[in-house]
Amino acid sequence: MSDHTLPHHDDKSGHLHVDIKAIDASVRLPVIILFGNAIHWLVIASLLSLIVSVKLIAPGFLGGVSFLTYGRLAPMARDLMLYGWASQAALGTGIWLMARLCGRPLGGEHSGGFGGELLRTLVISATVLWNLAVLLGTLAILAGYSSGVEWLEYPSWASAMLLLSFLLIGIWAVLLFDRRGTGRAVVAQWYLVAAFCWFPWVYGTANLLLVWKPIQASAQGPIQSWYCGSLLALWLLPVALASAYALLPRLLGSHLNRRNLATLSFWMLLLLGGWNGMDRLIGGPVPAWMTSAGVVAGVLFLIPVFMISMNLLGMDRKEAIVAGSISARFLLMGLYALICVGSIGALASLPSVSGAVRFTAFTEAKTQLWILGAISLPLFAVLYESFPQLLGRDCWSPVLTGRHYILTLVGIAMLISLLLLGGLFTGIALADPTVSFLNITSYSYPFHLMECVAQLLLLIAALILGANITRALAGDYLLNKQPRK
Amino acid sequence: MHRLTTLLSGIFLVFLTSWLGLVAYPALHLGRLTPVPDPDNGGSFPPTYGGQAIAGQRVYATEGCISCHSQQVRQSSVTTSDVDRGWGLRPSVARDYLRDSTAFLGSRRLGQDLSNVGVRRPDAKWHLIHLYHPSAVCEGSVMPCFSHLFLIRKIQGQPSDEALNLTGDDAPKEGYEVVPTAEAKNLVAYLLALRHDYPLPEAPVKKNGAAK
Ligand code: HEC
Repeated sequence: MSDHTLPHHDDKSGHLHVDIKAIDASVRLPVIILFGNAIHWLVIASLLSLIVSVKLIAPGFLGGVSFLTYGRLAPMARDLMLYGWASQAALGTGIWLMARLCGRPLGGEHSGGFGGELLRTLVISATVLWNLAVLLGTLAILAGYSSGVEWLEYPSWASAMLLLSFLLIGIWAVLLFDRRGTGRAVVAQWYLVAAFCWFPWVYGTANLLLVWKPIQASAQGPIQSWYCGSLLALWLLPVALASAYALLPRLLGSHLNRRNLATLSFWMLLLLGGWNGMDRLIGGPVPAWMTSAGVVAGVLFLIPVFMISMNLLGMDRKEAIVAGSISARFLLMGLYALICVGSIGALASLPSVSGAVRFTAFTEAKTQLWILGAISLPLFAVLYESFPQLLGRDCWSPVLTGRHYILTLVGIAMLISLLLLGGLFTGIALADPTVSFLNITSYSYPFHLMECVAQLLLLIAALILGANITRALAGDYLLNKQPRK
Repeated sequence: MHRLTTLLSGIFLVFLTSWLGLVAYPALHLGRLTPVPDPDNGGSFPPTYGGQAIAGQRVYATEGCISCHSQQVRQSSVTTSDVDRGWGLRPSVARDYLRDSTAFLGSRRLGQDLSNVGVRRPDAKWHLIHLYHPSAVCEGSVMPCFSHLFLIRKIQGQPSDEALNLTGDDAPKEGYEVVPTAEAKNLVAYLLALRHDYPLPEAPVKKNGAAK
């Protein structure tokens, strides 16, 4: 088996003459642009997150300047994580995996009605447009033009740009699937198709009803929660899972045992994913049935999560192989993070727990574990796996890669446990009305202090990754000999 | 699963469920709630906002107050602590928000819930000083200073009667005064208008409550 074959599914048709080199060459530029920019936003977002946590222990830090107040930096950091980093890396992942899995080069003669070069130029322009939208949206929040809707703070024109850019890339991915040269579709492809269909739907609906032409505010709460839940569970998570399904079997030298389980969990995830955000409104100003739906969906969500993990973690694997593959390690950790997210989510959906912790750091812990763990870790795996193939050489520094891995995991583990613990403490204290609110705020101080340390670790990890990728891309010019294997 | 259309229709149908329940239903039902008449003075509940309060919502949005403050008192079936803490007389319901441009429900409470802050803190002067420098009225507050919503200017003739009454370190230099900008005044007008203390058919207020 050549090093460059992707995860080949049981190809029944058997006439597969896929020119991997041509496919990689065709997607090289867009994927590198997407991942390269995603990482620079990740670095900036990590820096902002650090500043935001410092502000909770020293409110005067960088104080007195309008655009550096907590209320502007916190949404900036979150949106950069979501759109600058995660969504952008997910787009890169989507393009690379889709082209590979479909056995078709981007803009090749098989890509349908579109002319080759023209299509490629279009996709590359769309990646540039995406980054422009993120940059302008971020600056708009900074300058005080935020829409004030959580996770949708970008002003209308910036979100419209983002959506347009997505459509230019996404339509291609779906068309490519339609004209695939590889017969039977694999699970990873379903996830990608689903994700690429959902983002425009979710992002378009939510922006339309909340930002572009806001609906009467009494209806906004559920739509907002639906958006937050769907963005994670129906756009970013499916891409992360697609990469696990596509890469893990080959990396482990193993194969999926139960295809049925994969099919069933795919549809369950789809069904429940949209309801998953309703735990943000348990007990809130919505009809009682929505509260119940939130509770039920939060608990049931565990089922597809467990099925998927059983499916993927149930593969035979040799520890030596896992230890030797950074991508496999990131993917496995991503799955563990997903199990934790599912469990924390189910717990936090129970009315009595939700009543105590919903507005505390506990909820933040869940969101962070979603983004940093279940979603980002698999995206790192794709990055580490795809670049050597796209560049045609072993481009990563083993030292930097190892440090990035360790620091990321330690940073995430530390941050999440602090947020969970801090959230539990405040939740319990809040339930007792004789303890004054300000008193409770002062209990949180040690947690906030340690969170700064965790954020610092994550920033260092992001910087190391930045150095690693800079080195990888500059490798041709700076190093005359290839790095050791 | 061989054909794109099959996969797409499956995806579409499954996805439609949450869309119908959480987008279409709210849009058609919650989005069409109407105010109820106030029997006492011919007004309506929830009361309308004045012009300043309407403008104040923009400031609330752009300054990101929602990062730290929620605006919802939860149902007593889930928790009673919101009401017990004095953050409201009754749980908030969808109808309470129909005068808002954006429902600032929020997801984190680094500061208190603000859905009834106008009931709890009716004094505009307090809010202005608090926004200018939270620690001045609340020792050790982690709320950021919104001093950029104020002007420090030289006193021309008579001191302005809008000038903040600041003491100690916060006080401006001799001969200067701190006055709120229009944005600060709008924001405070909005904060004072935040009150879910009127009775609604779906959310009655107990008689002995201090509603007024
Ligand atoms: C970093 C988080 C943070 C941000 C951002 C923030 N606040 Fe606060 N807020 C707090 C904390 C903590 C308290 C409690 C201590 C205090 O009263 O200062 C508080 C208290 C308040 C109170 C007093 C509530 C009461 O019941 O006494 C009001 C009013 C208020 N904030 C309004 C605002 C407004 C308006 C904004 C946006 C312009 C805002 N806050 C932004 C953290 C924040």
